[in-house]
Amino acid sequence: MIKNNIESLFTENLPHDSAQKHVNGKARYTDDILEPNNIFYAAIGWSKKSNAIIDKINLDDVIKSEGVIDIVTYKDIPGRNDVGPVFDGDPIFPKNKVEYFGQPIFAVLATTNELARKAVLKAKISYIEKKPIITIQEAHKIKSYIFKPKQIHRGSPNIALRDAKNYLRGNFSTGSQEHFYLEGQICMTIPQEDNDLIVYSSTQHPSETQQIISKMLKIKNSSIAVKVRRIGGGFGGKETQSFIFAAICTLLANKTKLPVKLKIDRDDDIIITGKRHDFFSEYEVGFNNNGQIKGLKINLYSRCGISADLSAAINDRALFHIDNAYYIPNILVNNYYCKTNTASNTAFRGFGGPQGMMVIENIIDNIARYLKKDPTTIRKNNFYKKNTNNITHYNMKIEDNIINEIFEELITSSRYINRNKQIRDFNDKNNLIKKGIAITPVKFGISFTKNYLNQAGSLVHIYNDGSVYLNHGGIEMGQGTLTKIAQIASNELGISINKIKISETNTSKVPNTSASAASSTTDLNGAAVLNAIEKIKNNINHYVRSKYKISIDKVKYRNNKVIYRNKIFNFNDLIMESYLNRVSLSSTGFYKTPKINFDDKNFEGRPFYYFAYGAAVSEVIIDTLTGENKLTQVDILHDAGNPINENIEIGQIEGGFIQGMGWLTFEEVKWSEKGNILTHSPSTYKIPASNDTPTKFNVKLFKGNNIEKVINRSKTTGEPPLMLSMSVFFAIKDAIASVGDYKIIPKINAPATPEEILSSINIIKKNL
Amino acid sequence: MSSKIKFVYNNNIIELENIDPNETLLNFIRNNLKKTGTKEGCAEGGCGACTVVLGTLKNNKILYQVVNSCIIFVPMIHGKQLIIVEDLESKKDLHPVQKAMIKHNGSQCGFCTPGFVMSLFSMYKNNNNYTEKIIKDSISGNLCRCTGYKPIINAGKELNNYFKPDKFEINKKIDIELIKKIQNEKKPIKINYNNKLYFSPLSIKELLLIIKNNPNAKLINGGTDLALTVTKSRKDLNSLIYLGNIKELNYIKENQNNIEIGSSTPLIEIEKFISKYYSDFSEILKRYGSYQIRNIATIGGNLGTASPIGDTLPILLSLNALIITQKNNISRKILIKDFFTGYRKTKLKKNEFIKAIIIPKNKSYIFRAYKISKRYDDDISSVCMGINLNLERNIIRNIIIAYGGMSEKPKRATNCEKYLNNKNFDKETIIKSQKELLKDFNPINDMRASSEYRKNIAKNLLLKFFFEIKKNKNIRIYD
Ligand SMILES: Cc1cc2nc3c(=O)[nH]c(=O)nc-3n(C[C@H](O)[C@H](O)[C@H](O)COP(=O)(O)OP(=O)(O)OC[C@H]3O[C@@H](n4cnc5c(N)ncnc54)[C@H](O)[C@@H]3O)c2cc1C
Ligand code: FES
Ligand code: FES
Repeated sequence: MIKNNIESLFTENLPHDSAQKHVNGKARYTDDILEPNNIFYAAIGWSKKSNAIIDKINLDDVIKSEGVIDIVTYKDIPGRNDVGPVFDGDPIFPKNKVEYFGQPIFAVLATTNELARKAVLKAKISYIEKKPIITIQEAHKIKSYIFKPKQIHRGSPNIALRDAKNYLRGNFSTGSQEHFYLEGQICMTIPQEDNDLIVYSSTQHPSETQQIISKMLKIKNSSIAVKVRRIGGGFGGKETQSFIFAAICTLLANKTKLPVKLKIDRDDDIIITGKRHDFFSEYEVGFNNNGQIKGLKINLYSRCGISADLSAAINDRALFHIDNAYYIPNILVNNYYCKTNTASNTAFRGFGGPQGMMVIENIIDNIARYLKKDPTTIRKNNFYKKNTNNITHYNMKIEDNIINEIFEELITSSRYINRNKQIRDFNDKNNLIKKGIAITPVKFGISFTKNYLNQAGSLVHIYNDGSVYLNHGGIEMGQGTLTKIAQIASNELGISINKIKISETNTSKVPNTSASAASSTTDLNGAAVLNAIEKIKNNINHYVRSKYKISIDKVKYRNNKVIYRNKIFNFNDLIMESYLNRVSLSSTGFYKTPKINFDDKNFEGRPFYYFAYGAAVSEVIIDTLTGENKLTQVDILHDAGNPINENIEIGQIEGGFIQGMGWLTFEEVKWSEKGNILTHSPSTYKIPASNDTPTKFNVKLFKGNNIEKVINRSKTTGEPPLMLSMSVFFAIKDAIASVGDYKIIPKINAPATPEEILSSINIIKKNL
Repeated sequence: MSSKIKFVYNNNIIELENIDPNETLLNFIRNNLKKTGTKEGCAEGGCGACTVVLGTLKNNKILYQVVNSCIIFVPMIHGKQLIIVEDLESKKDLHPVQKAMIKHNGSQCGFCTPGFVMSLFSMYKNNNNYTEKIIKDSISGNLCRCTGYKPIINAGKELNNYFKPDKFEINKKIDIELIKKIQNEKKPIKINYNNKLYFSPLSIKELLLIIKNNPNAKLINGGTDLALTVTKSRKDLNSLIYLGNIKELNYIKENQNNIEIGSSTPLIEIEKFISKYYSDFSEILKRYGSYQIRNIATIGGNLGTASPIGDTLPILLSLNALIITQKNNISRKILIKDFFTGYRKTKLKKNEFIKAIIIPKNKSYIFRAYKISKRYDDDISSVCMGINLNLERNIIRNIIIAYGGMSEKPKRATNCEKYLNNKNFDKETIIKSQKELLKDFNPINDMRASSEYRKNIAKNLLLKFFFEIKKNKNIRIYD
């Protein structure tokens, strides 16, 4: 058992630092920053074909269009014409071939936003079309891959499959997902003296924005300052997908030496940017009569779109989570990175993890239905254990396993067994309306799987009036990182949060930051802030010791006092005194995650600092005539370690859950055969709305500490809760199974739209 | 005629001379009023980030109605009170709605928040009691990608604990006076902005004259369809005639046999009125767009689009409604079954407009309606069905079955109807009649649904209807 011996450092559950500004409209997003008087507006002209050579391009009418003052194409790019974060492959403007419907080709600058957007429609472009590759199947058939397929492997899956008592095979797919951050992509660039640039971008990754612009313009990183106060949602969609807009906006600003704003229309945003990778898998599984998996072979295909972007790391994370919380002694996975003529798929909350987990959850569910047992039992039978069966397929020993405890507690608190019985009774009596229930676990690894990204910097000043300026590399995108880190600083200095100035993220203040991603923002940046504060405290201690000749161990900063063993200072007085005695009250801080190391080549080691756990029970009701469905109750028990701010964590859990539910139920991205994305507006792409939130929605935090030394022994809640929503999908599957009296395994893929549900029901009815 | 647009803002009358009639209220607020609390999330009415409240005078009371400022043109707010998120707090204090949102952690990234605040504000002003159902429906036109809605719903419930009089209650008298002052001018409007024309007549007589002199002008009611031409297709609407200020087109009246609805009546009014006659019609309307849409979208506009997925159209078809039109001084009555002639095409002649819709009461008939869509709230139907049955001792004497989403226009299932008429109302007959539907329809595949699914739904809804009537209760998963 993990000892619960650390009391929380944080007693106050403060609201979000900007809560008041959110509700009265004073919080400024990029579009709200006061514009310079002479600002101009840009718009992008994009490809109407998904695979073609540009035969002729005539922009005369664009240039002549009302209000237009300039135009840029690939010819105007002095340096690197690519925004690919790791690998090349994402041209800003292609030279002569377009590779997806929506790919930017040129941009204009005009006196108003509306005139710019009107102008781009006047381009005359003729294409020589080639047959596009759109689906995973089409790509795999002709081996159109971004990277060579990858194989991971442990034990002897072939032998295990052969020897196992039972055997199943099948295939499964999960859909793509549009981020639908409420604030669309946007950038404003303001040229400065010396050809320097200030770039306001709605991005999760200011440092890389800076680097990409620097390479594009062949100027130094130090000439570019990227600033972000807050973004209106990111979810991974602004980790790399914001780069092209910042690049184009800045290209125009640099060319014309004018301030430029590029605000992307919602439809264009959905058309141009990448989304969650959809996955397809084929599996063979061998298991004993208890449903324990003995051997597993999987072919795992993902739709990467046209370029690498982050697809390598995303597929890796799918591989890391293909076990979810289950011990799989013998496993082999072939991973295929399908290259298609669609926008390059990218990070989305969970980053491949959810897609990997869905594969195994579906297999477990099918095993249970095959054995005619409650899936909950089969899940438990396969869980990792504490002292045995605790090594993952990538050879990491799991030291913090609490999934068994979480599961048991939730089964009891949600009255799962009882409700399951009632549901079966209900289904016996009702023909047209059916109910279903499922409980699913989550085990999610925390850290960037690219080791070098697990670092962070900070900058802390204490002014001589005792007020504190706080800066670090974390981006505020709703997850409350600025609030939590300010709480950390306030707690560490023993002063009220009102004395802490939360400031915009700015590449001139803290350099070389990692993206705010991988759920790690607060863990990393919070620790870097602690480090800076520690250094300042050391400076002060040094002074106090030499001046007052007192001991400096066990110094406490509490309630605006600094308490030495035999002397107490007022915080403000001590700060002023330090200043007058020439003590440095400003410091940078740095942090790198300990313990992690991973051998990419052999796919083994410790990629994660720790795991976050959770489980959810969902209950649904479906209409077997129409496929309509409704989530009626959710009970969640989630592990946030010893949380810094309970309210913020609960907000992340609820929001992540609903977002995942959308992904697995009715959010459906569709392309035409030619690769035109068809669902590019809120009228065709539906994210969850208020009535999709269940009336009974119980969220509890599991009581326990992080065994690793994360601040306050907390655990992040950024991504993990999204995967709690898997329970919704399997509850729907359970309801469908009732149509065949639980004798036939339903065939259903995600998203479980009403159409998918009805078609699954109809297959069962045909086989009855 | 006046070229000035006037509206009440912050206890003042704002006057705008010859403003661009294609300027959206959202752009006006952000660029001219220089207030950036109102956000653009989609510019097509689908996200609610741009929600503002329009105070509308009705029976000497102000109705606080939410609208999407991104798809309403500035001149359309003439004679109303504009309230935006920055206006809610008073010098001393936040508005109760704002306090409740903070208390319950209703914001994360905060971008959607001003829109939610305005929707909750409207709910707060227009109701006395805030149940989960009322709250959820009130915010169903606002999307939030961060919170999952629960804290916002909790903020709504919190409002039950606040005492009423807010800043707007206190200033109500002044606002009413100001609105009346504008309305009492009783002047039709004509705007000429660089040859872009906008008319807002106050009577049918004026309307006829304007149409006569501007035969190429486009009629605009709520603009929830038309405005997207500007915000999405990026085309100018060079000549618009706004019908929303013509009182003779905005009414609901009834006699013993019929309900008559003026074509400019907003759907929200119909939703309230019709429930006592056709409760399913009202249910369909509740899921039509959002409050932001229904507050301004009109029945005339829905008919005018003649869209195959217009939700009121199959309902009106099944109810055998009658459309009254006018051109010059000639009025016509068109049976709705003859009205739609093709994809977004109708029997309307050039310069003919829809004046009213007459819906028979037919109390002896059994009426049901169903809307199937991916999402419950604010979604376009995959299939929408209206069905109206006259049953005599279990013999189908007359049945009307109409579908949206099954064809290039809203259409009746005539073969199926013919098959069913004068047969026994039993399961076997219904199942046999399902085959007839395939003669009636060959629906398309699109991003909302496949042809196969549409056919399945169409068939199954017929069965569902049968079970519901036989069991004498609705079999639905939504309460
Ligand atoms: C976010 C959103 C959600 C929506 N949801 C739904 C939905 O759930 N179901 C649905 O059916 N629709 C929906 N719509 C579509 C739209 O709301 C409807 O088509 C609406 O009924 C249009 O009414 P309006 O008054 O706004 O029409 P307008 O846009 O003003 O006009 C529509 C057309 O009708 C013509 N017209 C208007 N009045 C007359 C008249 N008196 N005589 C002749 N022609 C006239 C106009 O010239 C125009 O061509 C939605 C739209 C949006 C933006
Ligand atoms: S901006 Fe989305 S509804 Fe107006
Ligand atoms: S708080 Fe981010 S969209 Fe609602």
